[in-house]
Amino acid sequence: MSSFFNRMRSGAGTSSPSAGSSPAKKDPNALQITPLEKYLLDLPLGPSRDNGSDKFWGLENFGNTCYCNSILQCLYYSVPFREQVINYPKRSPLESVTTTSTGQARIDPDAVILPPNHPSLTPTKLMKQQPVQNSARNPGGPPPTPKPEDKEHPDFKKRVAQARGPTLSMGNDNAAAYGMPESLFTSLKDIFEALLAHKSNVGVVSPTKFLEVLRRENEMFRSAMHQDAHEFLNLLLNEVVANVEVHSKRLEEEKGTNGHAEKTGFEKALASAMTKTTSSTTGWVHELFEGTLTSETKCLTCENVSQRDEAFLDLSVDLDEHSSVTACLRKFSAEEMLCERNKFHCDRCGGLQEAEKRMKIKRLPRILALHLKRFKYTEDLQRLQKLFHRVVYPYHLRLFNTTDDAEDPDRLYELYAVVVHIGGGPYHGHYISIVKTEERGWLLFDDEMVEPVDKSYVQNFFGDRPGLACAYVLFYQETTLEAVKREQDAESLAAAAKAVVEIPKEPVGLGLKTNGFMNGIQHVKSAVTPTSDEDTNGYASLDKAVTEPPQPIKLSTSPSEVTALPQVPSRTPNEDIKSKKERLKEEKERKAVAKITGRQEEKAERERLKSLEVKRKEGMKKADADTKAAIQASKASKAEEDQRVAAESGNKDGVSTPVPIPTGGLSRFKSSSKSFRKSKLFGGSRESSKDEPFAEENGAEATTPTDKSRNRFSSLRKKTSNMML
Amino acid sequence: MFVLPPPPRYPITQTTASPSGQTNGQTVLEMSNVLTHPSGPEFQLSVGEGTYILQDNLHLATPPPHPQDAPTVNPNPLATAPIPPKAGIKLTICITSPRKSSLQLYRVNTSTSTGSNLGTYSIKESENESRSSNETNNNGAMTQLPSSNASGRTPVFGEDNILLTPVAGKEGVKRKKPKTNLVKSNSQFISRVIPHDSLNKRLQEHNPEGMFVFANIDRAYQWLDLSSPTPARAQPLMKILFAKAHMLCHDINSLTKGPNHIDVIMGASTGDIVWFEAYSQKYVRVNKNNIISTSAVSQIRWLPGSENLFLAAHMDGSLIVYDKERDDAAFIPESNGAPTLSQNPFDPDLKPLHINKSVNSKNQKANPVASWKISNHRITDFGFSPDSRHLAVVSEDGSLRIINYLKEQLTDLYPSYYGAFNCVCWSPNGKYILTGGQDDLVSIWSLAERRIVARCPGHHSWVTAVAFDPRRCDNRNYRFGSVGEDRRLLLWDFNVGMLRRPKAASIRNRASISSNIPVGRNRTESQATNRFRSNSSLDDDGVDANEFVEHEVESRTVTAELPPVMSKAIDEHPLSWVGFEEECIITACVEGHVRVWKRPQDCLSP
Repeated sequence: MSSFFNRMRSGAGTSSPSAGSSPAKKDPNALQITPLEKYLLDLPLGPSRDNGSDKFWGLENFGNTCYCNSILQCLYYSVPFREQVINYPKRSPLESVTTTSTGQARIDPDAVILPPNHPSLTPTKLMKQQPVQNSARNPGGPPPTPKPEDKEHPDFKKRVAQARGPTLSMGNDNAAAYGMPESLFTSLKDIFEALLAHKSNVGVVSPTKFLEVLRRENEMFRSAMHQDAHEFLNLLLNEVVANVEVHSKRLEEEKGTNGHAEKTGFEKALASAMTKTTSSTTGWVHELFEGTLTSETKCLTCENVSQRDEAFLDLSVDLDEHSSVTACLRKFSAEEMLCERNKFHCDRCGGLQEAEKRMKIKRLPRILALHLKRFKYTEDLQRLQKLFHRVVYPYHLRLFNTTDDAEDPDRLYELYAVVVHIGGGPYHGHYISIVKTEERGWLLFDDEMVEPVDKSYVQNFFGDRPGLACAYVLFYQETTLEAVKREQDAESLAAAAKAVVEIPKEPVGLGLKTNGFMNGIQHVKSAVTPTSDEDTNGYASLDKAVTEPPQPIKLSTSPSEVTALPQVPSRTPNEDIKSKKERLKEEKERKAVAKITGRQEEKAERERLKSLEVKRKEGMKKADADTKAAIQASKASKAEEDQRVAAESGNKDGVSTPVPIPTGGLSRFKSSSKSFRKSKLFGGSRESSKDEPFAEENGAEATTPTDKSRNRFSSLRKKTSNMML
Repeated sequence: MFVLPPPPRYPITQTTASPSGQTNGQTVLEMSNVLTHPSGPEFQLSVGEGTYILQDNLHLATPPPHPQDAPTVNPNPLATAPIPPKAGIKLTICITSPRKSSLQLYRVNTSTSTGSNLGTYSIKESENESRSSNETNNNGAMTQLPSSNASGRTPVFGEDNILLTPVAGKEGVKRKKPKTNLVKSNSQFISRVIPHDSLNKRLQEHNPEGMFVFANIDRAYQWLDLSSPTPARAQPLMKILFAKAHMLCHDINSLTKGPNHIDVIMGASTGDIVWFEAYSQKYVRVNKNNIISTSAVSQIRWLPGSENLFLAAHMDGSLIVYDKERDDAAFIPESNGAPTLSQNPFDPDLKPLHINKSVNSKNQKANPVASWKISNHRITDFGFSPDSRHLAVVSEDGSLRIINYLKEQLTDLYPSYYGAFNCVCWSPNGKYILTGGQDDLVSIWSLAERRIVARCPGHHSWVTAVAFDPRRCDNRNYRFGSVGEDRRLLLWDFNVGMLRRPKAASIRNRASISSNIPVGRNRTESQATNRFRSNSSLDDDGVDANEFVEHEVESRTVTAELPPVMSKAIDEHPLSWVGFEEECIITACVEGHVRVWKRPQDCLSP
């Protein structure tokens, strides 16, 4: 695409003398590399994970469907949720063997419908030919001379992501394969499984089927209007609960009938195995997101205290200007007077009475979804208005508003996903999500675009910065202090490794051959390139050396590092060949990237040098008045040189620790999933917002699915009416 | 995608800027500070001892952006470009009269203090002693550990390393001044210096007992005299505008300050450090061109009892001791005095406190004097204990570290309830440490008992600054204040005897999961409440007190809670600083409002 050429040209224009030393072969397509891909190349993922944690896909926006995209990304990286969606319905071992083949066929490649601009190819072929295709598709590309700042524009990045692909169009449904009727759950499962099965780590999913089902079954999401992401989350969780319950109930019934029917012993065992597993897993949405609130109401007439438990899937908290999430939660549980139009019906006094009410958390959820009520109805304007209150949220959280008998009241939560609303009001705007992934830290998901971000980026959405972007839904998951410590240590190590890289910052004329950073990049590169064809590990270290240029240490230690990575033995030869091809292709890209990054580095170095020189000249001019300063500067540069020399001699010794990939989140959940509590199968698991009319709480907690769904819908309707009032 | 343009960050000064201001690159006119005296019940603080009344509301002008550094307001709210570190306004108060400053410290401990621990004068005397003894005894000094000195005088960091002894003759009445003249300098680092028109007159008229205030706001640094008469009070004695750097922290040297000399040290967002002598208007840059550390300085303080040494906390998690007199040199981590070949990344398992350069290093030709790495997380604040033996360091990873900095040993690591710590301070007698953090709590920690004493809920958002009120503290009762992002000032009264733990102490051991049950440093401490944690108590404990203990989080159900005695929203913006002076409480907010709250009349002592 022309813009890419443009970028390249500008890069080549400014990088002058040492550009000649860079290899002449140029691969323009590699210029298209997105920040995410660069990031992934920086630290190769190693063997692919079979749990989907190494997939970083964008989601296509079909006109204001960002509410859906942002929530889906948050849910995908809710590790236990993703695992459960993928594992449900559970299958017996035999069945799972057969489904691996059918499952593969189900999703990949048959179900993958590539958009017209993509040739329908097997993944391998696709990977190989895609660059050619992309470069050939120039006419459809962006305008010929885009301004340089356009590259930073999200729309541009999204186009790049879309163009790069691969694109996975989820237009079919495989509900039958799961033995379930088509529902939001099955189409969600389709998306998750398709991502899991796909070879590529990055790409764009078009959740067409999912949206189709959503719109077919829910009137309020039918229009192409801007929707509330929190309402969508609530609806989705409730739908998933309902779908799973209906399914498990049907299985239960089947088992009842089958049990009496004539069956082979094996089939019986199979059936029992199925029901056993399903019965223990149906409540998993409850177990993850559901907590229990206790509302204590004290009748001020008879002093009688009545308690009522109710389940919640997320907490909606009112906001105050200049407050914290902690304070909002405290306020949520603060005492409230029920009086005037909002009196309490006391069973003892038998009538509407004034009462004091407070809500506390009795059972803490494993995943705490916090909805910040930024959209508030204002009387004056007769409509909802967005609150731009500054509400700060910490990376970790404990709940103060627990009941005295709550189990584990000091449970530690960590922030792992934030849904951000950008815009001036509730009826328009944009949603994005920032999610902490197990493999790759914090990523920004903006529809098709996925970009790595710094941890500190997460706290940019308190609501007080320009740009109208505010955190809207916060996802906290349970963790332990040990896990946090481990993670911090890992972060420390990563930062230290980075710091080591960055220490020799000032360019100084160096006599050292390999480690001069100005030419070191090419040096490293050329040294590795020949070997990389035979040695598949070689390029991995090359990436590292190239994308984090001043790190020759990595190169020297990389072989051991690579072997130290966990190996996945289960690879068919065929796959190996494929992946080899992939690798070769990727490698090409990487080389090109290396070239660019190398050039950029050089450019930066040169600029720095230049500015230093300018500074020095100024110093000389100033020398009449201040000769000492100049002497100092030269002293300093000498000292820098010394440091560099020492640093590099240190580097040569190759003392560096490979950066471990933090897997804390995953392992944590795996271990803790053993301690799953039995679900109580609450009835209407509704969104319990505090401003619900109190009378609503008297709604019976029904256990039959039909009742449940009625409850749910009524609560939803109620909520919307609340919103629209 | 719908994005509205961002609201302007600064009041529109560009329109008022006259074109005449375009000479030598300065385009925008400086705005001046505004002093108001609002009154009414919302500008009063009612506490048990009486009512504090807002006396001065001084709004420090936010300087316009540097002309060459035009505000790059990115309209994209999702821009991933890193945002440079910023800090709200912090104040450094300086009363040049020595009598006043020592009184400020002594009053607290009238009954028990021997005086030698806290007074600045005695520190100076003892320092002179040690210097002379070092000069006569060259050999043994190097190997000796600093705190092994006889009790009765405050040890000074680095005094046992003869290489760190200042050159004789430089001490005394004639203080050494920095080299470069601020006003005449044409450094790119400093954009502009604006001294007050009648600076000399104002300095001559300055009451030595009056308050000088140094304040950072955005890229400006102001030197104010809060004891000036009203019209002039608002205007700074001197305003320094930096080009790129934002000063994030600063401190004055209480040892060298005097009627003609104030040593100010400042740390900048760019990692630069400036030593500035206010009266001579001269300065020297340390860590110039980031030769020693590239990371921003989040807190900086002069080492107690030292004329030249100061400690800077960099945001990469390192604590570095610099000497204002020494030249900088590129820093290579060393071990046992010799440069190490390995560029060791910080290994958390290796050592709780990673010494990249010891104070006892034989290589003391240039800065840094010492360099420690505590983690790779941003250090947010630190404070020296009044007995000049311990250092409390808080950081973004939610940990409070107690470091015996004389021995360069980390002794305790406490976790926050959750979230980062933002601030820390010591009680006037050094027994307690206060922290404030992102858990909206002020926490009280006991140094001697090595445990959390109480958690103080009451803020509605993160706590940004904590301070004791030394005039309302004795050895049993403590008054402290805290300010937060919730714009609130909270005052707390804390009495050791009155604190109740929610349940029996036996549960406490169960609640802390670790086998590392914190052991009291000095078990008798709780009974002997009036005894100082000082030289002798540390010697009693011997090695045990210096063993590193990583403490566990205590459950909410077993930790005492303390309610505030006063809570009030006192500003429209998040607050960033609080301090207690003899006649007032001073608060500062992130947008530049410095508020002086006059103490109630007739009841200065508790």
